[in-house]
Amino acid sequence: MPPAGIWIDGLVQSCIYMTMAFGMVLVFSILGILNWTHGQFYMLGAFVVYYAVTAAGVPFPLSLLISGVIVGALGMVVEKLVIERLTGPGYGLLAVTAATMALIFFFEGAAGMAFGLMAKGMATTLPGVLDMGSFSISYQKIAVIIFTLVIMVAMYIVLNRTKVGKAIRATAQQPDAASLYGVNVGWVSLIVMGIGCSLAAMAGGIMGPVQSVDPFMGRIPMIMSLLAIVIGGLGSLTGAIVGGIILGLLNSVIAYKISYFSEVALFLLVIVILLIRPQGLFGAAPK
Amino acid sequence: MLELKNVWIRYGKNVAVRKLTLTVNKGDFVTILGANGAGKSSTLNAISGLVKIKRGEIHFKGQKINGLKPGAIAARGIIQIPEGRKLFPLMSVMENLEMGAYLCKDTKRVRDSLEKVLTLFPVLKEKLGGKARELSGGQQQMLAIARGLMAIPELLMFDEPSLGLSPLLRQQLAEKIKEVSREGVTIVLVEQNARLGLMLATYGYVMENGQLVLQGKTSDLMQDEGVRKAYLGV
Ligand SMILES: Nc1ncnc2c1ncn2[C@@H]1O[C@H](COP(=O)(O)OP(=O)(O)OP(=O)(O)O)[C@@H](O)[C@H]1O
Ligand SMILES: [Mg+2]
Repeated sequence: MPPAGIWIDGLVQSCIYMTMAFGMVLVFSILGILNWTHGQFYMLGAFVVYYAVTAAGVPFPLSLLISGVIVGALGMVVEKLVIERLTGPGYGLLAVTAATMALIFFFEGAAGMAFGLMAKGMATTLPGVLDMGSFSISYQKIAVIIFTLVIMVAMYIVLNRTKVGKAIRATAQQPDAASLYGVNVGWVSLIVMGIGCSLAAMAGGIMGPVQSVDPFMGRIPMIMSLLAIVIGGLGSLTGAIVGGIILGLLNSVIAYKISYFSEVALFLLVIVILLIRPQGLFGAAPK
Repeated sequence: MLELKNVWIRYGKNVAVRKLTLTVNKGDFVTILGANGAGKSSTLNAISGLVKIKRGEIHFKGQKINGLKPGAIAARGIIQIPEGRKLFPLMSVMENLEMGAYLCKDTKRVRDSLEKVLTLFPVLKEKLGGKARELSGGQQQMLAIARGLMAIPELLMFDEPSLGLSPLLRQQLAEKIKEVSREGVTIVLVEQNARLGLMLATYGYVMENGQLVLQGKTSDLMQDEGVRKAYLGV
């Protein structure tokens, strides 16, 4: 059995993958596309937090919210200027896929020019550890876990108890009927893109003090959350959460057991899961 | 109240509806009959704004509505109960009803119409918390109508509500639709089951291959030799 610290590190990663995957699936459920540049919103969120904390002296929790708002708004701009124009009758999936992939390099390049390519270390914003006897957890990591719980509960409430949330669910389940009863599907697309990107930004922001901040930091979390989505079943929000948890823990435990080739082992395991259940854990069985 | 003038609908190169002109007056109960692919659903979807028309105009209460978004058309009081019900399957019965009243800001009015709708469909009362997809076919059709009524429609358009229902359930459905009509709601009923459409409505239009071929009082249509042969099988 790996020591508790390994599981906790895994859980912290789970939190990030889960939050990222949740946003991507939410966007997918409405727009029907995977936003390939989701990881760059994570990276931009981390930069906003980095500069807010180090340059402007904004308190860490507030800077997280600021990054959620700014990057969420940027996500809406991308939806309006790029995605909306490349979807709809007459457009295949290829155009919008290529466009969001191109945005990966656009955002990475822009961040590199604006902030430099060097990784920036950020001082811990929450120093200290919680001593649990046989092991200890840093407050920073506890913050990641609590933050994720809060986000998930908030999302649950928004989706199930508010009018906007019900409009989102209705649109995901039956877009024609939703628009027949007055839901503006274009507006819902904008909202979910805002929410998804804002979640990614806050996930990146909260990891800022745990890792370092650089223009390419969005790539691995993006790949991992894609894998989480595939494991969980594309289209299922529960699947995104469970897939994220499984993947974070697996990643950490495998890396502990075999430091060499741990990624290879992880990807092999994912392939095995998919061979057994191609639709993912929570996906609908293929017809 | 509703007027279609020389309406054309096209999907790519395929013409689904050509030169369609029809009128529905306030308080009318109109049926549109036609075989598979005649263009009935396309017509309703064009009125609802889900499908853009290529030529012609659609007027409602004297105002042009073609080109408006579906939500804006719904807000004017035109509500469609779509083919295949199109419920929100993973949402509860209650949430489906709430979505019907999505545009209504007045919570008191929503509560009143909920009460009215549940009196009309008492079966739904016990199922409010259950998911829509857990209902039986008949109950789902009732919920689809109830959701439509929650929007407080002036013009209610049904697209093949009897599809997939047993004769007994079809009879119940017919009763409910009659009740809605008696309340003063103007109704357009699209049916493949011509017998049902002709029995309920007072005026009928017959479509073939996207064109209007016949119209008249349903009592006259029922006597028409062509209609009897093609749609009533007698
Ligand atoms: N979304 C679409 N894309 C392309 N063609 C379509 C589409 N919807 C309908 N059509 C075509 O338009 C024509 C009219 O279809 P429509 O669904 O309006 O007929 P209908 O009278 O409602 O038939 P049914 O009784 O089968 O419901 C058909 O030839 C159909 O194939
Ligand atoms: Mg049809």
